[in-house]
Amino acid sequence: MPPSIHPVDLIASLRQKHLTPAIVFLTSRRACDEAMESFDHADIVLPPVRQDAIAAALERVIAQYPSVADHPLIPTVQRIGVAAHHAGHLPSWKIAIEELMRQGCLDAVFATTTLAAGVDFPARTVVITQSSIRKSRDFTDLTIGEVQQIAGRAGRRGKDQVGFAVVTPSPYIDLGVLTKGFTGHPESIDSQFTISYPMVLNLLKAHPHEQIHAILAKSFAQFQLNQRAELLERKLDALHVQMEPFGPRVCTDWVSQWQTFDQVRRQRPQRHQVRRHESPELSARFHFMTPGRVVGLARGRGIVLRQYRSKGQKNPMISVLRLDGAVTECPASNVGDIFDRVFECDETPAFPWCSAASFDELSYQLTELPARLPTLPIMVPKDSEVLPDAIVQSLGDFPCPSCPSRPACQKDFATALRLRQEQHRHTKSIQALRASLWHRFQERVEVLQKFGYLSPSAHLTDEGEWARLIRIDHSLLITELIRAEAFTGADPALLTGVMASITHDDDRPGSFPRISSGLSSLLGQVRKLAESLSPYEDPPLLRADVAALAERWIADPTLTWIGLCRLTTMAEGDIYRLLARTLEFLSQIHTLRATHPGLAETASRAIALIRRGVLEELP
Amino acid sequence: MTSDELEQLLVQQPVAVLHRLARGRVHRHFRAGKRRLIELILQHSSQNLAGLESDVLALIAERQSHPQPPQPPARPASRAVVAPPRRTAPRSGEQETTEAAVSLAAWLEGIGVPAPQPFVPDPWQEDALAALDETDVVVSVPTGSGKTYVAVEAAKRAIAHNQTVIYTSPLKALSNTKYTEFSRIFGIDKVGILTGDRQENGQAPLLIMTTEILRNLLYDAASGEIDIRLDTLGLVILDESQYIADPERGVVWEETIIFCPSQAKLLLLSASIGNPQDIADWLTSIRPTTCRLVRHSKRTVPLRAGYLHPNGKLVPLFKTATIPSGHAGHLHPEAKRLFFEYEEETLPSGRPRR
Repeated sequence: MPPSIHPVDLIASLRQKHLTPAIVFLTSRRACDEAMESFDHADIVLPPVRQDAIAAALERVIAQYPSVADHPLIPTVQRIGVAAHHAGHLPSWKIAIEELMRQGCLDAVFATTTLAAGVDFPARTVVITQSSIRKSRDFTDLTIGEVQQIAGRAGRRGKDQVGFAVVTPSPYIDLGVLTKGFTGHPESIDSQFTISYPMVLNLLKAHPHEQIHAILAKSFAQFQLNQRAELLERKLDALHVQMEPFGPRVCTDWVSQWQTFDQVRRQRPQRHQVRRHESPELSARFHFMTPGRVVGLARGRGIVLRQYRSKGQKNPMISVLRLDGAVTECPASNVGDIFDRVFECDETPAFPWCSAASFDELSYQLTELPARLPTLPIMVPKDSEVLPDAIVQSLGDFPCPSCPSRPACQKDFATALRLRQEQHRHTKSIQALRASLWHRFQERVEVLQKFGYLSPSAHLTDEGEWARLIRIDHSLLITELIRAEAFTGADPALLTGVMASITHDDDRPGSFPRISSGLSSLLGQVRKLAESLSPYEDPPLLRADVAALAERWIADPTLTWIGLCRLTTMAEGDIYRLLARTLEFLSQIHTLRATHPGLAETASRAIALIRRGVLEELP
Repeated sequence: MTSDELEQLLVQQPVAVLHRLARGRVHRHFRAGKRRLIELILQHSSQNLAGLESDVLALIAERQSHPQPPQPPARPASRAVVAPPRRTAPRSGEQETTEAAVSLAAWLEGIGVPAPQPFVPDPWQEDALAALDETDVVVSVPTGSGKTYVAVEAAKRAIAHNQTVIYTSPLKALSNTKYTEFSRIFGIDKVGILTGDRQENGQAPLLIMTTEILRNLLYDAASGEIDIRLDTLGLVILDESQYIADPERGVVWEETIIFCPSQAKLLLLSASIGNPQDIADWLTSIRPTTCRLVRHSKRTVPLRAGYLHPNGKLVPLFKTATIPSGHAGHLHPEAKRLFFEYEEETLPSGRPRR
């Protein structure tokens, strides 16, 4: 059996059951294109009437968007009445397909699930072939909301009595995810509030620092945090009720009193043992003297074979294999160095404490050791639990032993302490929930103060006044670049190249035109700066190849869109999106005309140069 | 229907219906008894009784069109004398599973184009529009229910009052589609579109833009560079507002809503989400008026799910023709068998363990 149904058969069976028009959601753009190609050898041809209808509809779209006219897929679409619709296509082509679909000229459209939200046309049927979706690098299962969003495209109001969602298996399918998605209740959504640098600057421009707290409190994020905090507060109230029987007794804070008393009581008898036993340093080191460990003794090195504690000895003991092949016993305190080297050791319960093969191997290893070995750094834990002597000695001063409420205290202590700790924990988390947004805001403020966009009193400096106008991703990098005067004397092509490499966040490989030396040295500078800013802002990918593509489009005004696409293996739609995003970034830079007239002028020239051909068709 | 009448209606319903109503409305509804359940449902939907009412009526209609299988004969009353047979419970379960699954013909029935009929707005659409006269509105309905109708009607009313309307969508591509669509409805001179670097007909009463652009406008207004048109702004429509949960861009929706001028009404259109009440409560807490939530989960065009085997065989996916809400396990036996067969053949190690 084939792993999944052949596209031609799929369309044929949909047509046969009158389930067309349909949207077929496939895993990838490539799957969509391959599905289209598979029709090349099929001899299904639409009746001439419908072919003419498609041609007529396309005619109308072409009148508005001329770039659709010479699209290579037009003959295929006309012949078979099926099209592909994904992010690799130009927006104008997608509009054309949507228009055809809306007028009922097409029988099916192959689309990718990634853009299910961007597909703005319904059909009688949707075909689902996968249960996961590509989200930033890897595949995750569709959520219930997403399945319903996809299935929701089925059934056109006024044109269908019923809509159909058809599942067809492919290697990427988990039926459980889909059935759950069809029948389930959509997930709750959570706020994804993040605080960006431009947000901080713009907030502080319009409102004094003291008011920001109130503004942040109006966010959905804080609303949801408050909901959680209220839940905790309710728990806290319940705890208060539970704590009631453990109120003040003979002493007001009997829990703390008893806690100290109890701790002291436990520690006192131990004090003698502590003195008799090894020092904390030795016990920390002894922990590392495991079988197979290389240790340094007064006379040469050895390998530990076993560790033990003997009644007759004050110190813990180890058995050591020496260089001459002898097995000796020595107190752990005699060990000078513990080296950072452990060998495999097959332990046995009797002399020589390891198997014969392992013994030979270890003896050999011991002779082969290099002259210098790194020693193991060993942290000696501070025994913080120990109370100062004064308190321990003063056990007699505690009123507890003779207190009338001693039995009650002793009995209730465990419960009361647990409740009190829980109370502390909840109080702390409530504080954290209420204040976390504010803390995140303060962190950003500190960074901006460090870079000089904000004064120590959290007012905008001159730099901050213009930097707040850059409201895009990687804003800190861009404003720092402008401050470092990286763009002085740069021509529009260079500026566009750098902006394109900052906007592009896709790591799909491809082949691209060569980069000019001016741009590559500028990009080197940008990379260095981005790296130094990485503690404060995630650095962009900064791909040189993408920069070269954008640079070429600006530098050579005679270059046609087809010519540009030939320079690279990137899909048409991706190039369009790259240039459109670059345009957005450039227009943000253009807003700095008051403070950086030269740069804004370069940006506006770049904008004028980008906007030609296909890029001029859509607003 | 008043709330008392609605309560009466709810009292007459079997508990199963109440539980279905409570799903998504009441947390841990299965713990509540009938009386408490009704109380909780009413309390939850006190802002949106009409929505609740439409859901109740839909459920009742659904139950009437699918009559329950005959109840198993009543157990002998002599329970005290003879211990009830232990197998009763499993047997009734079995009866449910052996209930005849829907046939393909029945599943495909009704396919085709409905007779053209004059457009009549759904009750929820009327409801949303009526509420919008006074308050902000959050609409959460399934995809394809006609959210655009609400947006268009609301915009028409605001424009009639000489107010400016801003419509935002999450994607540039969607903005473009809406621009074309609205130009057709309102006339080309009444609709403008704003993008990062270009304005077309920026003085028109209905402006389309992406949410980011609106956010930037609001920031500029807040910092003193007042755009005069914000004073006449009467309505802001945020389409696809479930994007508020988008990890990268969700924050833009929050900023937009926080800084939206208080004289302008907000209309949030969203696909079905789990907690629209939270969004509505949030808006109520930060906006001058109480926000009204309009939600329903019934699709205008009913949806059926099918399974198409790679060999071209089409079978219904579920035992019932419609999608059994809340019962992911009620698969059509034939679909189950075919899919199992498929997994056996395509996966070398058989069914993957999950």
